[in-house]
Amino acid sequence: MPLERDTFLVFIRAKEDSVEIVYYIVLVPMVYVALAIFLAGIVIRLIKLFLEPKHPTTLQIFPERRPRWLWALHDTFLLPTIRRHKPVFWVVLMLYHIAFLLLIIGHIELISEIKPFQIIPHKVFLGRGFVGLVLSLALLFFLFRRFVSPTRDLSVPEDYYLLILLFLTVLFGSQMDWARRWYGYDSISVESYREYLSSLLLLKPHISTDLTAPGHSFMLLLHVFFANLFLMFFPFSQIMHSFFALPINKLRRG
Amino acid sequence: MDKKTRDDLLKLFQSKLDEAMRLYLETCTRCGVCTEACHAYASMGQVKYIAAYRHEIVRRIYKRYFKGRGRVWPAVGEAKELSEMALDELYEAAYSCTGCRRCMVYCPFGIDTQMLMSIAKLLLIGAHTEPEILTMLADTSIEKGRSLALFKESFLTGIKNLEAEVVKKWRMEAGETAIPIDVEGADLLYVALAGAHSIVPAAAIFDAAGENWTLSFFEAVNFGAFVGDPTKTRLILDRIVQEAKRLKVKEVCICECGTAFRVMKQLSGKQPFEVSAVTEVHARYLREGRIKVDKSRFKKKPITYHDPCQIARNGGVIDEPRYILEHLTGDFQEMSPDPRYNWCCGGGGGLVALGEDTLDFRMKSAKVKVDQVKATGAQILATACENCHTQLSNLNDHYQMGVDVRFLSSMVADALVQ
Repeated sequence: MPLERDTFLVFIRAKEDSVEIVYYIVLVPMVYVALAIFLAGIVIRLIKLFLEPKHPTTLQIFPERRPRWLWALHDTFLLPTIRRHKPVFWVVLMLYHIAFLLLIIGHIELISEIKPFQIIPHKVFLGRGFVGLVLSLALLFFLFRRFVSPTRDLSVPEDYYLLILLFLTVLFGSQMDWARRWYGYDSISVESYREYLSSLLLLKPHISTDLTAPGHSFMLLLHVFFANLFLMFFPFSQIMHSFFALPINKLRRG
Repeated sequence: MDKKTRDDLLKLFQSKLDEAMRLYLETCTRCGVCTEACHAYASMGQVKYIAAYRHEIVRRIYKRYFKGRGRVWPAVGEAKELSEMALDELYEAAYSCTGCRRCMVYCPFGIDTQMLMSIAKLLLIGAHTEPEILTMLADTSIEKGRSLALFKESFLTGIKNLEAEVVKKWRMEAGETAIPIDVEGADLLYVALAGAHSIVPAAAIFDAAGENWTLSFFEAVNFGAFVGDPTKTRLILDRIVQEAKRLKVKEVCICECGTAFRVMKQLSGKQPFEVSAVTEVHARYLREGRIKVDKSRFKKKPITYHDPCQIARNGGVIDEPRYILEHLTGDFQEMSPDPRYNWCCGGGGGLVALGEDTLDFRMKSAKVKVDQVKATGAQILATACENCHTQLSNLNDHYQMGVDVRFLSSMVADALVQ
């Protein structure tokens, strides 16, 4: 039955092709589009905001402390009001934000080796898998917090979408890290990531089969897919608080 | 609501948008840390009194009309049409908020609920659904500024009648006027409220300190600020600014009125005069030895002090009243370990001015204030704001607290030593 066999092979090939197309779309054009929206969105939003006239009167809270900019930095990065009123929430928030910072550094190291980051010698991806774990658990904490009144009554769909989106991104991303570190699964190497990410950066996108062939490739696909969605949503969402936190805290300090 | 009305209201909304307002509108993550900050929520436990919930009432309309996202995908942020129903919600949010800004001390970003409620209040004015009495009172103040001549005579007669009371508190030298008015070149212009309690004790203290002062024709209170009308607020403020300039005074001293002080201090801009609260001036007199008070005057009764939100947390006058009280008693009981966290009395934002209409809510929403006062064990409850004084007196009656609610300035006047 040579004809039937051929049809079958064509079908398999077509399926492989379409999988490849999906990989390509998510790992290349979608990343570019997401990044473009992310960067342009943030820049436009910041420009629009700072072009607005300043408020004519002070909005500060007394007693005042000087230097004001230093206290504004203190408020922005140490969240003293939350530490005072919701200490457990504060611990999780601090862990989450610190882990997020480490995660950004980790991703930069996945583009290329950066010497200064190696002051504390570590393997890439840094954090021994715990960065992702902390983030995942913290995100679940934030999500479940919202299921309980009165935070539940304050929340809008955006709040849930963002947390779920971030959780999925972090979960699939961490899974790749955990697989290598904790289950000895090493078929996607740091070099494969570096090759892919630096090719994106140099505008010569290239996806090697090292990335798409192994069994864990779909993790990468899903990680990048959700990350793209997150980046595209970022400039239109309350995650912009990462940029607004400092100027808004400065208003309270006068 | 027809299109024309809505467009007009949205123009008013637009007029409130500046950098700070945009930050307040766009940063909230609805983390809920502000939950316990509002005295109304702490007393009544209803979600609608949480600061972030109040914000969202304004923010939903903002998202719908001022953000692209609200047009493309309104559901994600629960963006909302500006409708009659939305106006009802805005009213409920704005006129259950006293603008005390205690929530600002809880928020990790420092979002100013009072500012966001000022949008709500302006929209209500635009829709003619604001509390009419506040607008009427504001208009009266403005009218008085325009046609001073009509009011002048009756005002002068009224003041003349008060002078005897001042002399009772402080014996003057022969030939001195107990309550000087319209004195060009005076050092200090005192802006009082319409009421003897706001003028007599202050006059006695100024005279005792040998101050070169003059009384303003106008009352300090700014109903424009209560109702949230920026134009009227400015007009009411400008009457006093003009008078101060005309008399070439060096200092404008605002009586015990939180709103009046904050508006004058923070909204008048750069002027040739300083702005101070009467409490600051009294503390200065004591520090400089210009007046002396009798520490045993209040018979060693424990005294506590309620920091008016607009004067302390929002105006920065915190140490001065404590300095004065050190001279009035050896038994001062602090109400809150940190004045930033002092509970609002529940009477701000125009609620006291609305009188009986808001009485029930004011009593229910200020339960935490009552508990706080009781915990001090004080017998005298001093404060330095007209609204706070009225509200605390109402609370005193309603909850049978059994304290003596006093103005700090009148306590100083009573304790003056010749």
